[in-house]
Amino acid sequence: MFSLLQIAVRNVLRNKRRTAITLAALLIGVSVMVSIRGLLNGLQRSLVQNVVQGQTGALQIHRVGFLKNVLSSPLSLDMPQDAAFEAKLLAVKHVRAISPRILFAGMVNVADQTIFLGVQAVDPIREFKVVPLRAKTMEDKELFETGKVVDAMVVTEQLQTALKGSNVPKDAPAAILAPDKDGALSGENVTLTGVMKLNMPGEKKVGMLRLDVAQRLLKMEGRATEYIVAVDDIDNIAQVAADLKAALGPDYEVSMWDEIATFIKQAMTRQNFILSLVATVFLILMLLGVANTMLMSVLDRTREIGTMMAVGVRRSKILGLFLMEAATIGALGGVIGGGVGALIVLVLHARGISITFPGSNVPFTIQPYVTPTYLASIVAIAGLGALVFAAYPAWRASRLRPVEALAGG
Amino acid sequence: MLFRTTLLALTTVLLLPSPAFADPTADELLKKYDAVMGPENFLATIQMTAHRDDGTTRTYKMTVLKKGSEKFRLGFAEPAAVRGQEMLRQGDNLWVYMPNLKRAVRLANRDSFQGGDFNNADVLRVNYQADYTAKVVVDPTRADAWQLELHAKTKDAAYDMIKLWMRKSDSQPVKGEYYTASGKMLRMAEFTEFKVYSGLMRPGKISMKNMLATQRYSTMSWDSMDTHVDPPSGKFVLDDLGK
Repeated sequence: MFSLLQIAVRNVLRNKRRTAITLAALLIGVSVMVSIRGLLNGLQRSLVQNVVQGQTGALQIHRVGFLKNVLSSPLSLDMPQDAAFEAKLLAVKHVRAISPRILFAGMVNVADQTIFLGVQAVDPIREFKVVPLRAKTMEDKELFETGKVVDAMVVTEQLQTALKGSNVPKDAPAAILAPDKDGALSGENVTLTGVMKLNMPGEKKVGMLRLDVAQRLLKMEGRATEYIVAVDDIDNIAQVAADLKAALGPDYEVSMWDEIATFIKQAMTRQNFILSLVATVFLILMLLGVANTMLMSVLDRTREIGTMMAVGVRRSKILGLFLMEAATIGALGGVIGGGVGALIVLVLHARGISITFPGSNVPFTIQPYVTPTYLASIVAIAGLGALVFAAYPAWRASRLRPVEALAGG
Repeated sequence: MLFRTTLLALTTVLLLPSPAFADPTADELLKKYDAVMGPENFLATIQMTAHRDDGTTRTYKMTVLKKGSEKFRLGFAEPAAVRGQEMLRQGDNLWVYMPNLKRAVRLANRDSFQGGDFNNADVLRVNYQADYTAKVVVDPTRADAWQLELHAKTKDAAYDMIKLWMRKSDSQPVKGEYYTASGKMLRMAEFTEFKVYSGLMRPGKISMKNMLATQRYSTMSWDSMDTHVDPPSGKFVLDDLGK
């Protein structure tokens, strides 16, 4: 067996040009596959981070039915926002931070202009402990955070432009209007302290309001409609979700980030599907190259095969020899290609790639990476694939008739 | 000669529909609707009850003052949460005065009126003749009423399309269906409790059913309506709100 491998390696090295061309095909194919996977990994990790640390938190707590009815009655399914309730949440293991929110639809008015918007009312300090990346999207966050402006509100740039497009003085009074908990129209003065950018594509006319102002506006003192939860390790979230649910009882539902931002999960599934399609095409093209080389090799070496048979080498050995040669080239190409791919990914990882999603205006950096498991599997696939695709040429070689082969086929 | 004249006269009489039995035109029906639902001037006390998805209800009491086709002023008396709120219409403009803000904020016609199932234009803009083009269509299921199909002339109209039924006996509105431009039904209204208010016979109550959130509906009933008022124009300016 070992001698067979030795001969195979020697044969591979004998025709240097042919081997080099085959290796080049394998190298390009494998390294491109590794690079694309690396880019996609980086992109997906960034997406998840942006959502978890910039929007949703790892987990969210609502009253049962809230998510289904959020459009028709977002305020009636509410929960306490007090120390006792929060202690219950914080007592759950691996919960790092929590923050209450109220989500509602309303209107913002500046100087005889009234525009609809979606409002997230948040705790101005704790919100950024749970979703720290969100702070990056805000200008003048301090004004919002410190309470120096007691009725601070920030809106998206798009909304700001719509509101202040027509020569509105900077200090024009602003107000927010919304139906309160009972449906009666209610209004509160607000101060627009700055703008926030969108870090994800989505609704453009949105605002962020201090929770206490919203509670006054909606007549919901001491109430919230949502708690966002940060966990100490994202891999624990299923366990933490179960523990929170047990602690809160049947009136509450606990959702993981990917159940809230379902579009992210769908996008990732779609990306992975497309990647595996592209990878399969690459792999087949690459392996057809290997098969072609082997077939050429068999035709070239007819006389050699005849000689081997004449001196008593068995047909199975001939078959084995050619398979071994293919596997050697496959494995070699896989290792080199994987190495080059990994190197490209490492360089990109160190440099980082800055991209901005269409519909968003906060650039973020993606850092490509691949897992050792993926690298190992791609090398194995290249080797085994070469073996499979070399089966026919090898079989052809083993079926040659010694006399004809010696005569030069 | 005499024979020919007589024949001509007879034919003319036969061919011309008799005015007493003529079907009203769409414009005549719209005019009737406006006259009944939004008389030129009036002072009315109205109650609206909003029935919400969770089974709770909330009742609002208000007075509405109207002058001409363009000016409305509405003040809420109950519940306490909205006491002191006032609404003002001047032509296409609509504002709500919030007592705690001490100023008026512009509102859109199609916003929900106090979280119920009427919109602001339903309550504060009754001028179908100005807002819609209408045609009479045949409704085979109802022999007792004319059906009108109304299409909005302007974006400020309460709805893009309305189907309105007015009964043949006295041309009173009995039913309305309100649609989006794409033909989706948003609301359905029934007009009931016909009464005479200072000489004007009209529906005393409208039930507006929400066709999107089907658990929800709102009713509006007129406790009184005086059409013999002549309010001063000074009541219908922004500066007068809150006073």
